[in-house]
Amino acid sequence: MAGRICCGLIPHLEVARRPELGGRPAVVGRTDGRVLAASPEAAAAGVQPGLTLRQAEALCPAAAIVDADPVATSRLADRIAIELTELAPAVEVRHDGRVWLDLAGLPLPAHALAEARRRLRALAGTEPRLGLAAGPFAASLAAARARPGRLLRVEDVRAFLGPLPVTELPGLDAEQLERLDLLGLRTLGAVAALGPRQLESQLGRAGRTAVLLARGEEPLPLTPWRPLLVTGARCQLEPPVEDREALLFVARRLCGDLAAELGLHGAGARKLRVRLGVEGGEPEDRESTVRHPLSSAAELFGLVSSWLREWQPAAPITEVSIELPELESAGRRQLRLWMGGDGSAEEVEAALERLQERHGREVALSIRRLLVASAIPRQRYRMEPA
Amino acid sequence: MPTEKLQSAIGAIHVRFGSHALVQATRLPAAQPWSTGLPAVDRLSGIGGLPRGRLSVLQGSLGAGKLSLALALLARASREHARTIVIDRPGVFDPWIPDRLGADLGALTVVRPGTPVVAGEAAVALARAGAGFGLLLEAPPEPALAALESAAARSGSLVVVVPDGDGERRALAHASSLTLQLEWLAPLLEGNLVAGARSLLRCVKNKLAAPGAEAELEVRYPLAPGLAAAEQPLEVARTTRTTRTAEEESWLDESAAG
Repeated sequence: MAGRICCGLIPHLEVARRPELGGRPAVVGRTDGRVLAASPEAAAAGVQPGLTLRQAEALCPAAAIVDADPVATSRLADRIAIELTELAPAVEVRHDGRVWLDLAGLPLPAHALAEARRRLRALAGTEPRLGLAAGPFAASLAAARARPGRLLRVEDVRAFLGPLPVTELPGLDAEQLERLDLLGLRTLGAVAALGPRQLESQLGRAGRTAVLLARGEEPLPLTPWRPLLVTGARCQLEPPVEDREALLFVARRLCGDLAAELGLHGAGARKLRVRLGVEGGEPEDRESTVRHPLSSAAELFGLVSSWLREWQPAAPITEVSIELPELESAGRRQLRLWMGGDGSAEEVEAALERLQERHGREVALSIRRLLVASAIPRQRYRMEPA
Repeated sequence: MPTEKLQSAIGAIHVRFGSHALVQATRLPAAQPWSTGLPAVDRLSGIGGLPRGRLSVLQGSLGAGKLSLALALLARASREHARTIVIDRPGVFDPWIPDRLGADLGALTVVRPGTPVVAGEAAVALARAGAGFGLLLEAPPEPALAALESAAARSGSLVVVVPDGDGERRALAHASSLTLQLEWLAPLLEGNLVAGARSLLRCVKNKLAAPGAEAELEVRYPLAPGLAAAEQPLEVARTTRTTRTAEEESWLDESAAG
């Protein structure tokens, strides 16, 4: 197989994660009032990222305009990465819908390609376009030219790239593209004919990269996805703090920061450690392993605050540090919104367990029959921690 | 015309934010009923059972049978749901009664919080997690009520509150979707033994159907070991005092015929 990098192209993840918008014109707006992504139907009407929402509305009045949700999109990106990492050792997922797999060294790359197509279709709800080339740049251009559900393989990179317009080069702003146009460089083939230093003198570092890309030398390697393994947050207190409420305030903020980071990676904490730096002494710490991963600020702060409320530090606190040394995917803990019937026993058990962690094991009790026929009520049942 | 302008505005909102951004009240999903197995209670609710995802309140005078009724509901719920919860801050819950009513004790968890605040927190957390049925033996504190309503609505949990005392009654009355009141009428005698109470069950608040319907209940006490025990704690409603709608009149006729 000539190529070793496969690029799969699906809609922008902000669009792909909303199956209810399938087949309808839709525009995802950024907080600054500009278009972040457009569904294929809206794009066909001329809506492009970067336009203002008013412009988008004028171009496509029927489009539904929805707000971007970076956290949910990052979760989808992580889900895609997790699914594809099982097929290839290095995977990169970008929010704009480009997904790369490094197939080098795989014994059955064709099988990995077929499975990647199937998984992308399941996750995005639409057939991906696939491109296969020696590097990520050529592979993504090939994917953009493939039909939905089909693979375009690039055998001769320079011949493939040569006729393509310079607007395909990443990292060049409008001014740099205009300069290329003034220089008469309108295709990648023309750019490839130059020396890297020649274009570097005109466009700076981006010029050198552009030449290498146009030659198919692929100077920009993949940035493989890595699962979040450990995280933490800390805050130094100057002057040292003795007030417990102030400590709780700081802890709440740290828990919020950690929860945001966990949310971006779709992770949950299996272990939590709080360390208090005390003035003129050794730091004091406390650690707990939880059965169900904690992922929200409320869950993290629930456990941390229960410790801080009863903590008796030896001296004023100079630093608060919250570490999450063991993480795992929290995707399975996604609460099922608008659930119609009974909840899952697992979620209820997790809630009971958190209550016990905060308020003691005696707070949640299960019932065991003893001498049910006894006339003495206390002999009939035993209540023990659930 | 104002109607046209309104329709135009609604259309613009639908186009801009999607059809779910603005929905007519009549098109909202109706509260799903959970059949209690007690025809009187199901009929008084107006929807055929206690509403899932809402707060229901059982209140009444001392000895009228509200706790017995609640425990009968709990026993039934424990057989139907993966997890049923009793939040028993007063510490009065005795598993013996639901056990005699056929409860699945393995599906039953008793939460005994130390303070009302913790009780409210526990109720919200468990409703949010989707506990199928939650029985609160004390009104939750007022600050927790809104969160409890929201959590139950999201998960579909069925929450029944049996308030003890007058503490948070006003806020609870506001949060309740269905309030049933029991009034003691007369003792239920079997020979010389007081085997229960005859009570009047009245729907005093109903957000889902017309309130005001009444029924008589015979609430039989589970008797201590060694005494003759009643197999059924509750008899069905035998009469209905007031009727408000034609529909209710029709089931009154059926009931009378039965």
